[in-house]
Amino acid sequence: MAKIDTLKEEARKLLQDGKVKYIIGYGAGSNGWPAAPLFIKQPEDVDKLIWDPTCIHNLVRFLVDEKRRKGKEKPPDKRPVGIFVKGCDSRAIVVLLQEKFIERGDVYILGISCEKAGVVDDAKLAKKLAGKKVITIEVDDENRFVLTTAGGKIEVPVEELLAERCLECRANFPVIYDVLSGEKTKRAVDKPFGSVEKIESLPVEERWAFWKEQIDKCIRCYACRSACPMCYCDECVVDSIQLAVSADTTADEKAGRIKWIQRSAAPSENMIYHLVRAIHLGGRCIDCGECERVCPLDIPLRLLNKKLEKEAKELFDYEVGFDPDLPALISSFRDDDPQDFIR
Amino acid sequence: MEKTLAKKDFPQWVKKLTSWKIYLPKKDAGGRWNYAEADGEDVLETRQATLPPKTILFPQNEILLEFSKSRKGNAETLEVKEVLPPAEPTVVFGVRPCEAKAAWLLDEVFASEPRDIYYWMRRENTTLVGLACTPPPSDNCFCTSVEGSPHAEEGSDILLTDLGDKYYVRSLTAKGEALINAAKGLFEEAKPEDRKKVKAVHTESEKKIQRELKGARAVSEKLKTMFDSPFWDEEAMSCLRCGICTYICPSCHCFDINDEIIDTTPLRGKRVRTWDTCQFPDFTMHSSGHNPRPDKASRLRQRLLHKFQYFVQVYDKFMCVGCGRCITMCPVGIDIIKVLEKVRDHGA
Amino acid sequence: MAEEFEPRIVAFLCKWCSSAGSDLAGVSRMEYPPNVVPIQVMCSGSVSPLYIFSAFNKGADGVLVSGCHPGDCHYIKGNYYARRRLNLVKQLLEYIGLEPERFQMSWISAAEGTKYTQVIKDFVKELKPLGPQSKLRRTP
Repeated sequence: MAKIDTLKEEARKLLQDGKVKYIIGYGAGSNGWPAAPLFIKQPEDVDKLIWDPTCIHNLVRFLVDEKRRKGKEKPPDKRPVGIFVKGCDSRAIVVLLQEKFIERGDVYILGISCEKAGVVDDAKLAKKLAGKKVITIEVDDENRFVLTTAGGKIEVPVEELLAERCLECRANFPVIYDVLSGEKTKRAVDKPFGSVEKIESLPVEERWAFWKEQIDKCIRCYACRSACPMCYCDECVVDSIQLAVSADTTADEKAGRIKWIQRSAAPSENMIYHLVRAIHLGGRCIDCGECERVCPLDIPLRLLNKKLEKEAKELFDYEVGFDPDLPALISSFRDDDPQDFIR
Repeated sequence: MEKTLAKKDFPQWVKKLTSWKIYLPKKDAGGRWNYAEADGEDVLETRQATLPPKTILFPQNEILLEFSKSRKGNAETLEVKEVLPPAEPTVVFGVRPCEAKAAWLLDEVFASEPRDIYYWMRRENTTLVGLACTPPPSDNCFCTSVEGSPHAEEGSDILLTDLGDKYYVRSLTAKGEALINAAKGLFEEAKPEDRKKVKAVHTESEKKIQRELKGARAVSEKLKTMFDSPFWDEEAMSCLRCGICTYICPSCHCFDINDEIIDTTPLRGKRVRTWDTCQFPDFTMHSSGHNPRPDKASRLRQRLLHKFQYFVQVYDKFMCVGCGRCITMCPVGIDIIKVLEKVRDHGA
Repeated sequence: MAEEFEPRIVAFLCKWCSSAGSDLAGVSRMEYPPNVVPIQVMCSGSVSPLYIFSAFNKGADGVLVSGCHPGDCHYIKGNYYARRRLNLVKQLLEYIGLEPERFQMSWISAAEGTKYTQVIKDFVKELKPLGPQSKLRRTP
């Protein structure tokens, strides 16, 4: 298992030398989940950093906040931000670089390899623990999760508790980094799109029944877009916050603003919201699975994004999040793109 | 009125309530607990549903009125039709006492002028049957720290307490009594030893609460001095700006009202009240473009101040019932108890 | 017997080709079903996926996007972008369980009035057995 000690020392040095503004990493959580995002400004706080398979959060989301914050600073502190990333998270940085949302110099990347494991799924873990409280989770040499609870240790093969996205992961070590901890070993993935194929194999009405039931649950808390490092639009299609108003703007003009999606959490409106989000992430989603993890109603949102990831791969041979110089999927084309669906 | 009901008779009671629509916590296919309609196989469990019964009293979407435009020659008429919630008697069984207490807090808000008829029609038609928490349904329960208890009676019409093979049934209102009278034969008069046992169970249940916030009232006072503190920037660093904490909160009640168009030719639409949350940027967005709560720090602060300062100033009660949902469900582990403890100890 | 279902099709037609093609069909007095609500756009590449979702949301039984043949785009490459983007939209709509027939794309030049009528005829014929589209439609 990757060790955090070397990264801690690196982080301490960075802070001592004032080379980074602050460091985004993982610290101890307090709500029953062992890990939580941690922001460190002082070198002496570096010891609060942790790394274990409960470090599920994609911290790259906080770079979006940082960019906004920096925009308001006068004068802006141009030092980079230190950030801990797993393989999937690092691909999110690649996309932000590709889209020129951030520059390489804005981040100092402390990469950690998941090696042959990954992160645990909260629901699977809760089921395994059956009410017991987990104190620590580690990966042993034989690639098993070792759960330490008050009542003793439990050993589980990683596959049993890994998050779905880890089971289909194609980047279990960071693809971009300044320092790296852990080995660049790959875990074999037999079916990178197995979960999507399962749904595709259903007849059309069953597919609809499945998605309708899921999307009907949505309460539009927008946690999915809030947790997503790619959802950085200043104004989302469901909001209306940036309406430019001048002294001459009439009430009719304000009221006549197009509402693409109504505020009611009605099934049709929820569905349009999730379709828009999925298509907007087409060729951009790096499958960190955060949207699905944060959903309080457990809607399998990842399966929507994964579908478009699959199509991008199969139709256009496009894989995002490995090469920052790649043009964006939908602002590029090839002469021989498939068009058998066009009359 | 104090009675007992054999546990095995509970389904009978539900069956006899033919003129009520009945909800109780049920496990869905994905393993989550929700308030769902009774289906003939109804047992009570001390579970925390993902969404509180607020969804029944104050639904996420409430149609207030419908409008339509019609044209005859050159004359245009606009017809507006009031839409009221269906007046159907409803029972919610197995409500957590903290959730019922939250309804009691919502009562304060929606009773102030102008009295909110949409809320009150639902509230007056709904009987809340609380079930004392033995043991607490969540590791993050802290009701006893915010002047509540696992057997609180505020807001409930009946409070049930699990005594092993039977429920101790304490009716608190006329609505509660009507529910018992609808199935009179099933209940027995409570005996003195039952009363003794209930007391013991209640005392025991309080001890099982695992989390505590000491000095909540002191926090209220302290908050008054912390509006401008940089403290909030630090605390909000990991906030994602989603609406989970407020939407799943039993006492959060902010809403938005929109006219939603169904058809344009001829014009037809409805005015809908929907949940809204102080955590969204557009919640406080003025039409001028100015936003008085421009960042997530000010929005996190607002959530805590509303619950622990403003509400206390106006109603002398906390607007938090200590169910712990926001702690359990926060995707980045923001813990309201920890934050309030830091407020309490800030600068000390 | 109940009246036969007449599907409503929203067609986003490129101003430079398909829209002109539909005009040609009209001025040539070609007959085709009156089920189309045409919306002229500057280029098939300017059709946002949101327009398509929104058309279904507001009651369309079928949506057609029609642009210039590859190589003929007035803006050189707009239709190539559309081809890629709308393929993804099509895959996504089918994946969530919308009938695949409901979203179509075609290349129709300004000279292809006959092709335009044929595309519409075929589209209407395919939509009829499906009945009204209610899956994405806004709840009345």
